[in-house]
Amino acid sequence: MHDNAVFSHKVLPFFLLAPQLIITLVFFIWPAGQALYQSFLIEDAFGFSVEFVWFENFIYLLEDPEYWNSVRVTFVFSAMVALVGMILALLLAAMADRVVKGASAYKTLLIWPYAVAPVVAAVLWWLMFNPSMGVLPFWMGAFGYDWNHYVNSGEAMTVVVIASAWKQISYNFLFFLAGLQAIPRSLIEAAAIDGASPFKRFWQIVFPLLSPTAFFLLVVNIVYAFFETFGVIHATTLGGPGSSTKTLVYKVYEDGFVGLDLGGSAAQSVILMIIVITLTVVQFRYVEKKVQY
Amino acid sequence: MATVSLKNIKKTYANGHQAIENLNLDITDGEMLVLVGPSGCGKSTSLRMVAGLETITGGDLYIDEVRVNDLEPSERDIAMVFQNYALYPHMTVFQNMAYGLKNRKVPKDEIQKKVEKAAEILEITNLLHNKPGQLSGGQRQRVAMGRAIVRNPKVFLFDEPLSNLDAKLRVQMRIEIKRLQQEFATTAIYVTHDQVEAMTLADRLVVMNEGNVEQVGPPIELYEKPATQFVAGFLGSPAMNFLDASLNGNRLILSPDVVLELNDPNLPDDAHDLDVVLGIRPEHMEACEETEADFTLSVDMIEPLGADTLLYGYFPGTEALITSEQPGKQQFKRGHRLPLRVDRERCHLFDKATGKRLGS
Amino acid sequence: MVENRPWLTVTRHLVLILGVFIIGFPIWIALVASTNSSSEFVSGLMPLWFGEEGFGNFRRVLSNEERVLGVSVSASWMMWNSFIMAMVIAVGKIVISILSAYAIVYFRFPFRKTCFWLIFLTLMLPVEVRILPTYEVVASLGMLNSYAGLTIPLIASATATFLFRQFFMSVPSSLMEAARIDGAGPFKFFKDILLPLSVNNIAALFVILFIYGWNQYLWPLLITTDEDYYTIVMVIKRLMSAGEGNIPWNIIMTTTILAMLPPVIVVLGMQKLFVKGLIEQEK
Repeated sequence: MHDNAVFSHKVLPFFLLAPQLIITLVFFIWPAGQALYQSFLIEDAFGFSVEFVWFENFIYLLEDPEYWNSVRVTFVFSAMVALVGMILALLLAAMADRVVKGASAYKTLLIWPYAVAPVVAAVLWWLMFNPSMGVLPFWMGAFGYDWNHYVNSGEAMTVVVIASAWKQISYNFLFFLAGLQAIPRSLIEAAAIDGASPFKRFWQIVFPLLSPTAFFLLVVNIVYAFFETFGVIHATTLGGPGSSTKTLVYKVYEDGFVGLDLGGSAAQSVILMIIVITLTVVQFRYVEKKVQY
Repeated sequence: MATVSLKNIKKTYANGHQAIENLNLDITDGEMLVLVGPSGCGKSTSLRMVAGLETITGGDLYIDEVRVNDLEPSERDIAMVFQNYALYPHMTVFQNMAYGLKNRKVPKDEIQKKVEKAAEILEITNLLHNKPGQLSGGQRQRVAMGRAIVRNPKVFLFDEPLSNLDAKLRVQMRIEIKRLQQEFATTAIYVTHDQVEAMTLADRLVVMNEGNVEQVGPPIELYEKPATQFVAGFLGSPAMNFLDASLNGNRLILSPDVVLELNDPNLPDDAHDLDVVLGIRPEHMEACEETEADFTLSVDMIEPLGADTLLYGYFPGTEALITSEQPGKQQFKRGHRLPLRVDRERCHLFDKATGKRLGS
Repeated sequence: MVENRPWLTVTRHLVLILGVFIIGFPIWIALVASTNSSSEFVSGLMPLWFGEEGFGNFRRVLSNEERVLGVSVSASWMMWNSFIMAMVIAVGKIVISILSAYAIVYFRFPFRKTCFWLIFLTLMLPVEVRILPTYEVVASLGMLNSYAGLTIPLIASATATFLFRQFFMSVPSSLMEAARIDGAGPFKFFKDILLPLSVNNIAALFVILFIYGWNQYLWPLLITTDEDYYTIVMVIKRLMSAGEGNIPWNIIMTTTILAMLPPVIVVLGMQKLFVKGLIEQEK
């Protein structure tokens, strides 16, 4: 592509960029800077006393077992959401890849959860798992299992994981399906001629070729679990029972808006920013490779 | 119709790469000038500078005696046919051809007339309501040309328009382009890397190499009297044979056994053991009896083309591969000993150091 | 098909049907719940089949009969808020991003690279990472409890800009050169050539962004205290914390159906385009 296919106007581009740049500066960069600044302060909620304390907030956080609990919770949560969401999606995509009849019907029926808000998904599953009259505990009761996610932290985690993953399965499914259909038939046919069974073919030929897609989805799913599942927690477990489902983002909200600990919440935000930046860099470096400048 | 003049044109890119050093060309009204050369020689860059798609770093560009360096492409009254046609995919053929006129505020009924006329000339009237995606390569090419002729510009610019077509179509379109250009008598600059296209289309031919002009002139002049070894090797298929030799006055020493006596008054008198390169085209070596031969070629490879046969072998005592073109009727076998006599009138001598032509 | 093993095909269909079932079961539950009365949810097993309420709950929720939603605004009003939010975000994002991408790809100007990286930065700053300070900025601008506050802070993130940029870079440069020779300046080129070619991308993006805007939860929660600005997705949670006594599951489920309906319709209606756009975006 010629690098010269450009217009020579020098002022017009700024006008074109202005809306995005202005909004970016006012609502992204400025608040991010504020968060950074506030993380170095201890101030009371009314702003009367402000004290510059360098990294004290961070040190306090890193020594706080509550914080590490949230870190652990978030990692466990993300890992499980990613795994459940991806494995089920891969299974469905692998099945759908070769189905001829009804392929588009299956596709339609499997992608619509993408349109559902995480909080809505959470509410649906919360009901299905309701200890007193939910349909799933009822069936589990038939096997002698007493489900109560209001009390049992593992069960609470299970519900939020399932609710979050349920929604992502469609997204992952679409990408896995596209990835599978991009693999040339001739490769699989050659493997068949070489005597590989369908099972072997999948693991030795198809899966390795699918790994860029899988890696990409892994990053996306983790980002999703980290950042887009606030509604899931807020509408169901509220971080509980205890703090067993208090993810990092939820903690930022609770400490900042409810607890009014501005400095601590800001410090947590900063740490989250670092995590996002790392994940984004990973995503672009190893997966995208297209952002050249 | 217009003249085009490039005076001391220089082009240097932002990264420091100098694409064109010093280009001087005068194109007469109605002439088809072809720029030919290998990739990176600067021919496309030169064309694009005339179009206004590349900025001119130094020198002056005149179209019809007016300096146009700072004018936008649309203000220069030029039209261009691109290698990949550059047709607007979402517009019909009619709209593609009309777009330039529309932007110049030409009245609707006039646009209608002009487009229909151009379509008629190019025989694409039945395609006017199709979109480019529905057309074949050759048809798209015609639409691209239609877009150019509909504006009746001062200069036509062609940027390797036939490169994306298959061989047969290329020959057909080549003839079309020449016919149209002559009919419209519009000045045209045509860029190609294909020397056959260059030879057949050009009124005058410009061979370029690494940003410099090697030679300008009518095609046959460049073919028969190449000014540099580069031009000699570039034009003509199969390519000219080159042999290292030593020149002593009028004696050309190819090897201890092969000495040619030349009869050229224009050779430098003081040539003494001068390192030269002999150029001789495959068709200019005659098969003869061993006794009359300058040297004998041991045939390694044979390529029967039908009308002619190409024979390849190594010049005795060297690693230099020689090509000889012989009439197709005769059958040859590998290992055949082919005595050849070099046509003295068709020898080309080049100074080995400078590449420039020696003698006449 | 490499070999013809019928049992393989049967297995495939079985697994897919099971998948469809797992995916669809929650919706079934919701639909069923919405047609039942609240008494069905007091004890025992929740209803698994449609009840006699039929569409009664929907009527009640949409008009907020007897303050059944626990707020003073009706579901239809809140759906309207959600709609405005989704449309403004979708259209706004598309317009801003396409202009920015156009500037970055087709012009050369000082600080171009800086602008690019600035926009890229927003990819790394989802609102969840800066909720408190962004709230403060919005509050200080007087944008709390307003449509502007609901939408503008969410409009400028980078994904749409990148998508358009990638697309523009794939358009052959000779097209732009031909247009220049044809006398088209930046405006004409954009309007006559680039925009028509971008229609598919715009449509796919619209679906993705509409859903993004409609499903926003944390942000509307933070900046609206005035019930007039509540969105339908927000209010569901409020119903869950009814606190005293029974959680009105049937009402909640009715509301979730309403909250899900428009985005699902959009996705299914534009399915082909949307799927293509989603995959292309990440290529």
